[in-house]
Amino acid sequence: CSRLHNRPTISPTLLLCNMYQRPDMITPGIDAQGNPIDPRQIQEHFEDFYEDIFEELSKYGEIESLNVCDNLADHMIGNVYVEFRKEEEAAAALRGLQGRFYSGKPIIVEFSPVTDFREATCR
Amino acid sequence: SRSRSKSKRVSGFDMAPPASALLPTATAAAVPGIGQLPGVPAI
Repeated sequence: CSRLHNRPTISPTLLLCNMYQRPDMITPGIDAQGNPIDPRQIQEHFEDFYEDIFEELSKYGEIESLNVCDNLADHMIGNVYVEFRKEEEAAAALRGLQGRFYSGKPIIVEFSPVTDFREATCR
Repeated sequence: SRSRSKSKRVSGFDMAPPASALLPTATAAAVPGIGQLPGVPAI
């Protein structure tokens, strides 16, 4: 959103910006070549992605929760929020992921102030 | 015992941008804003 959210210097939660890209991100249900995609394929694609990041993030610590935005709107598109049990684990993951690539895209990682996703709305 | 027949896919981690995306003839499907921005002269 357009609001200036505070970026904490340390938090158990990390934000991986715009990391998940739906195969039908341009037009819902249609791939980049203009062919329709089976919804099951989209689901599978999402699950593969989830598995990938869960596996990688688990190397840095115990994951409390992992949220992936698979929205199509611009706002927060493809954002991944991962909450670790401990702040140090999140810090280790941040250091470990910075400057790396995922599926040809640079990983943009920062601390997120969100600690309770049920309460996580922009106010 | 339980065995997973589904072979493990290759993780997308550490997958560098494809070489084609770095060429000026990149496909139209290439998403802009990835990698380094070309030098834009300041006005």
